[in-house]
Amino acid sequence: MYRSPFSALAAILAAAPFAWATGGVDAIAAAATPPALRVQVVDGAGLPVRDAVVELHATSPSAGPIRFPWKMGMAQKNQQFTPGTLIVARGSTVAFPNLDTVRHSIYSFSKPARFSIELYGRDQTRTHTFTMAGSVKLGCNIHDQMRGYIRVTDTPFAGKTDHNGYITLTGMAGGAARLTVWHPGLRTPGNESVSAITITGGQQSHKLRVALR
Amino acid sequence: MTGALGPLSRLVGLRFGTFSTRIALLYAGLFAVVLGLVVSLAAGGLSRFGEASAGRDLEANARVFDEILAARARQMGDQAGVLAHDFGFREAVATADAPTIASALASLQERVRSDMAFVLTLEGEVLAADANGFPSPETLWARLDEGGTHGIIASHQGLALAAAAPIKAPDLIGWLVIAQPLDRAELDRLVELAPIALEAQVVESSTQPEWLRGAAVNAAFEREIEGERFLYHVSDLAVLQDGIVPRLVLRHGLAESLAAYASLRWWLTMLAVGGIVLVLGLSWKVARSVTEPLQQLDEATRLIGAGREVILKVETGDEIGRLAESFNQMVAAIKERERQIIHVGLHDGLTGLPNRQLFTEQLANVLTRRRDAEQVMVAYVDLDDFKMVNDTLGHPAGDALLRMVAEHLKEDLPDALIARLGGDEFAVLIDGIDEKASLGNLADRLQACFNRPLTINGQAASSSASIGIAMAPGDGEDGITLMKNADLALYRAKHEGKSTYHFFEPALDEAARQRRQLELDLRTAIKNGGFELNFQPLYSLAEKRLTGFEALIRWNHPTRGQINPVEFIPLAEETGLIVPIGEWVLREACHQASSWPADVSVAVNVSPKQFAATGIASTVLSALAASRLAPHRLELEITESIFIADVEQTLATLHSLRNLGVKIALDDFGTGYSSLSYLRSFPFDKVKIDKSFVEDLGTSDNGHAVIRAITTLAAALGMETLAEGVEDIAQYEVLEREGCQNIQGYLFSRPVEADAVAGLLRHGAGYQRQLRA
Repeated sequence: MYRSPFSALAAILAAAPFAWATGGVDAIAAAATPPALRVQVVDGAGLPVRDAVVELHATSPSAGPIRFPWKMGMAQKNQQFTPGTLIVARGSTVAFPNLDTVRHSIYSFSKPARFSIELYGRDQTRTHTFTMAGSVKLGCNIHDQMRGYIRVTDTPFAGKTDHNGYITLTGMAGGAARLTVWHPGLRTPGNESVSAITITGGQQSHKLRVALR
Repeated sequence: MTGALGPLSRLVGLRFGTFSTRIALLYAGLFAVVLGLVVSLAAGGLSRFGEASAGRDLEANARVFDEILAARARQMGDQAGVLAHDFGFREAVATADAPTIASALASLQERVRSDMAFVLTLEGEVLAADANGFPSPETLWARLDEGGTHGIIASHQGLALAAAAPIKAPDLIGWLVIAQPLDRAELDRLVELAPIALEAQVVESSTQPEWLRGAAVNAAFEREIEGERFLYHVSDLAVLQDGIVPRLVLRHGLAESLAAYASLRWWLTMLAVGGIVLVLGLSWKVARSVTEPLQQLDEATRLIGAGREVILKVETGDEIGRLAESFNQMVAAIKERERQIIHVGLHDGLTGLPNRQLFTEQLANVLTRRRDAEQVMVAYVDLDDFKMVNDTLGHPAGDALLRMVAEHLKEDLPDALIARLGGDEFAVLIDGIDEKASLGNLADRLQACFNRPLTINGQAASSSASIGIAMAPGDGEDGITLMKNADLALYRAKHEGKSTYHFFEPALDEAARQRRQLELDLRTAIKNGGFELNFQPLYSLAEKRLTGFEALIRWNHPTRGQINPVEFIPLAEETGLIVPIGEWVLREACHQASSWPADVSVAVNVSPKQFAATGIASTVLSALAASRLAPHRLELEITESIFIADVEQTLATLHSLRNLGVKIALDDFGTGYSSLSYLRSFPFDKVKIDKSFVEDLGTSDNGHAVIRAITTLAAALGMETLAEGVEDIAQYEVLEREGCQNIQGYLFSRPVEADAVAGLLRHGAGYQRQLRA
């Protein structure tokens, strides 16, 4: 119920360039064997889960600002939040451009970012800065069906699964790490699942089975 | 016939008496059976219909209840939804702002008059003003998570109808649940909506008795509780909580709904009873319409049997009418036949004249009608020599003669009643005769009827009649006396010579009376042995001795003394008494002769009647055997008149007697129907020359010639001769000279008593003694 067709569309829009980039990294990694973690998220029935956010937390926090290769924006288009799931680094300011002809508002009761943006019209943009890590659920007060998820993270090794449920994380250091999966439909407190993992370096595959509602 | 019909008609009457009842009962019975079936089927059908419709009502009610509960739940859900959508409320829930939530819920409870309201978060937390009394979140969570929006839950207030609305912010974060206990008052409100009286209960299945717990769901069934019939319907209710099985139990008292049908059944039964009574009455009436004519027929039959005249009324043209018509025709036919039978019974078949019975009746009628100045004549007519006509010309000629005479009588005496009494005897009744009229002329006219010329078989014939006449009132006032007197007069007329009439006179009556007395005396004499035998000797001229005796009967009457055989023998002949008398004579004669010398025989007269009677030969044999008399010593004397009857039979009897060895003599030869052919037809041992010829010997010259002719003829035929009635010597000498062999008569002896026979044999008799001297 949380994987609406709108979120799928958003994922394509957001993931396409990333997929291309990863493809390139893969080829390089295969040659130089840099550490890479390929994770597949499947549901109880073994079907791939798309738009799940996978984060790898190394024991030693990485220094320096975190930059993700996608835009820090969550548009409102066709009465949908686009992309449905957005991963941002803590402290990022996310823009909310209204690309629809109708007015939208934005609210969040989520703990990391409680805010409410009054109705605003077409071609107007509002912004909000997310200062706490966690997941923020966005809704529009006048369009109940609109859902938007912003994952505020502290790690640079994060990404959304593709339509096959795959995500490949690269560039991390070896050693023990925490692997976190978040998805709005996950049947766990906070909609996230944490597991320990050891990064061995080189190509590494990991399959995560999660329960969705 | 009526006697036989009597009991039969009674029997039929009895059976018919119950016929209408039987028909009525049969039809009523059939109708009752059919009606009974119809009523019982209808009553059963009504009951089933009542039960079925109550069952259907129950099922419909159950569905209505479901609908109502669902509608109520939806309404509650809508009300919950309003709050669940409220931005502030959602914010309060999302931020777990308990006081705000509690106040919002209290406000909601107030607004929708709900008793319970709480929030169940996705994490399984219950948020409410007072969390006590709610079901545990775990039991609710699964149902809600599956999308359940309403159903029954178990609260501390019992089973309650609950509705849930999801709270989204924007994702589902929990549910707002409001509930309303399904208590008595709530259910009673529901029950009021039902078209039939019922009790509704929402119960937890596990707390129910086994029969209810195991009952089929969504189907009406019957259950008897404390003698009352109830219809139950059980249906499952949607639940919003795991672990409970709430059920809606509807109960309907059948007695109530069937009571309406009971009155209908009562009316049906009354209708059936009324119908049966009606059918009974109608079929009895119909049966009566059939049996009433039958009873009339029965009554008519009995009346006819009793000899009454009955004509049934023909009222209709149907079978019954035709039956009555046929019955009337039958009665008429029977009457006609009866008339014919009576006619045959009262008329003579040959001449068509009334017979003796009718004559007697008519005479009685005439006599009762007779007026003082009138006389009634009763004439008995007997045709003279009719027997000769029959014998010579044959019976058809005799019948023709009788018919002609009857015709003549009817023609000549149109006012008289003419009857044929039998044989050649007629009776004539003439009434209304003036007392001064000449009876002689009347008698002459009667006599003249028979003088008319007759033609029989083309031959002229003549007839004459003897007539005896009795007149009322002079010769008797009643029919029996008159007829008897007329008969006596006829008897006299016959005796006086033929072709004459004779009026009755009292002397005739006296003579008849004397004859009757004599007959009685004769019977007494036969019984008491009043007879004795005298014997007259028979003298043989050849042997010059008494060779036998003729036995002659003597009757010594107790009051009148000796009675001449001439007086009583004809009477004995007429009455048939001659047979026992003759038998006695035969036995007595044989008995006496057995004591005589062996050369002396006894002669016994046998009358024609005795001769013709069966068993004469055995009588003779028995007499001979009893007396041990040698058969040749018995001589039976018969007269020529025995030949008048059947000649063949007579000859056969004579031969059988001859075969016994007895002698047979022809008595009274020369008188009556003397015929030489008799002598030729049977070899008599002896011919007895009648005394009239002997008497003639003294007076006429040709007496000698006759005697001589007889003796010569007898000698030629080898028969002995005996002359009777020889009284003097002159006769004796002539007879001896003319060849007569035996003599009998006073010249020798009168008949003597039995004990004198021995003396005669010893000393000789009369002239015999002179001859010896």
